[in-house]
Amino acid sequence: MTSRIILDVHALQNVPPSNLNRDDTGAPKTAVYGGAIRARVSSQAWKRATRRTFQDLLPASELGVRTKRVAELLAPRITALAPAINGPEAWALAAEVLQTATGSKIEPPKRKVDAAKKSGEAAPAPESSYLMFLSARQFDALAELAVKGADDIKAFFKDKDNKALAKQLANTKHSVDIALFGRMVADTADINVDAAAQVAHALSVHRVENESDYFTAVDDHNSDAEPGAGMIGTVDFNSATLYRYAALDVDLLERNLGRGLDENTSPATPVRRAVEAFLAGFVSSLPTGKINTFGNHTLPDAVVVKLRTTRPVSFVSAFEKPVTADADGGHMEAACARLAGYIPEIERAYGDETTDTWVLRIGSATHKLSDLGTEAPSLTELVEAAGAAVATRLEQRG
Amino acid sequence: MSVLTLQLAGPLQSWGASARFASRRTTENAPTKSGVIGLLAAAQGLERGADLSALAALRFGVRIDQPGTQLRDFHTAHHGDTDAAMPLSERFYLADAVFLAALSGDHDLLTELHAALRTPVYLPFLGRRSCPPSRPVELAVHDGAGLEDVLRKEPWRAADWYQQRRRHDATVTLTTLTEPAPGTAAAFSTEGSAPGDTLRDQPLSFDPRHRRYALRTVHTSTVSVPNPCARPRREPPTHNPVGHLEIA
Repeated sequence: MTSRIILDVHALQNVPPSNLNRDDTGAPKTAVYGGAIRARVSSQAWKRATRRTFQDLLPASELGVRTKRVAELLAPRITALAPAINGPEAWALAAEVLQTATGSKIEPPKRKVDAAKKSGEAAPAPESSYLMFLSARQFDALAELAVKGADDIKAFFKDKDNKALAKQLANTKHSVDIALFGRMVADTADINVDAAAQVAHALSVHRVENESDYFTAVDDHNSDAEPGAGMIGTVDFNSATLYRYAALDVDLLERNLGRGLDENTSPATPVRRAVEAFLAGFVSSLPTGKINTFGNHTLPDAVVVKLRTTRPVSFVSAFEKPVTADADGGHMEAACARLAGYIPEIERAYGDETTDTWVLRIGSATHKLSDLGTEAPSLTELVEAAGAAVATRLEQRG
Repeated sequence: MSVLTLQLAGPLQSWGASARFASRRTTENAPTKSGVIGLLAAAQGLERGADLSALAALRFGVRIDQPGTQLRDFHTAHHGDTDAAMPLSERFYLADAVFLAALSGDHDLLTELHAALRTPVYLPFLGRRSCPPSRPVELAVHDGAGLEDVLRKEPWRAADWYQQRRRHDATVTLTTLTEPAPGTAAAFSTEGSAPGDTLRDQPLSFDPRHRRYALRTVHTSTVSVPNPCARPRREPPTHNPVGHLEIA
């Protein structure tokens, strides 16, 4: 069995009094773990924050899979689904589908047609008039649609629904999003995508009690006759040292995104870029619940990234027994000590894999993590190193 | 006939049987057969539309080692592009629970599944993708054993702090939910075995366009398992505090 490529990301992040993620009563979300109540930030809240950061880090057009020869990419997939349709017939069908889906004219460029006529070669394949990026998943879906309407493709696209579906399939705005996180809404177009990223609910490493801030708001135009508050209320909050975990199945991401087609860059480039954007996005993003009230913009003090070959491993069990504050207060140092003790033990007990490990840590409280792997001086360099390692493994696999 | 044992433990897990795409997505109190079969199928690399007959034919049983608490997660969603609010939902989880699941069937298939769990094709999760397991899922394949025997003999897998709370009990009573062995009395028979409940979690197809589940019978029972953290209550030393007083 060929070895897998799985990227595990672990982070320890302090959040001061804040309410990052609240339930319908307005209280910060919690969960019981190891018999103690913990602060919780739901998986979906942090995934959304990551998605938003991510969209800035990685516009789809930069993934280096730009090509005009989209018909040549779609045609073999059509032939694979319906062997009766091949050669120029498949090109014509592909061109028709792509034209409807993207709005661009798909026809052989005039100079190539003339050159072929002169030299007596076969007619060249149709191309789009501008460079496009479509992921493997999108090509697969368009091929299915093409085969469905193969009998009379023009009549097939007279139907408004089919036309809308084609347009939706070619929409590149969320290609990488969907490859990583799965469908956002239950659109039939994406119903077969399995998310490559798995984000766990973030839990505090220690016991937490929600607190509440009683506030009053006074009307600026109150007269002396009515000195009372205009409004009274409470805001619930807590502060926590959160353990955050995400696992990225790079093999599945490659199947969802496809390989690069640009001759000048490595075929692993789209996946590498997506992995780097996900890493940077996950580590540096923050859900914005009550951000104006609490101003709690913090970044993780400790990040451990592991590139695994068989299975993902979460280290949350290290905190099943809640961490207690040190004599001087603070949970980060004790949490790092717990983690530094737990990781070698669990890997010795269950893993015979060699994993690449990178550590980004800040401050003296996190010093126990420095022996766990290669220390990166900054997030950019950590992301760069992890991306390079992923690309190397993908290329080795061929 | 062999038995594959699995431990399903994590901060959160969720096993639904009756709520599909509704706004209230409940969880059963214990792992469902369809959820565990899904976990195994994913480890093997089966696609969602694949044939499940080999896996679904395994006989399933689960023991509740640590029941956990029900957690209600309030879930909002907004459309990525239009930012329109999508329907609200409440999703239930079991927090802080530990279960021992067992499947009995063909030895070769179970050995294959055990190996697949060590190198899963799709990343494993306990009911929902946001619930990665905190302990390795696979335990062992018990050659030639029976399902009920294994559920009775397997050591108690609850967390230390939970076992410590019961330290004055030498044995603990744990609930088991098992399928009747094929060919034995059906759900509503009054002969011998206790009547069973029915649960719609016998998986027929996981195809996302049309998921299908059949009804299956579940027998609830209990087993007594020794508590490894048991410490006998120490008897106070015999002494008579007032013996030295002379009572006139």
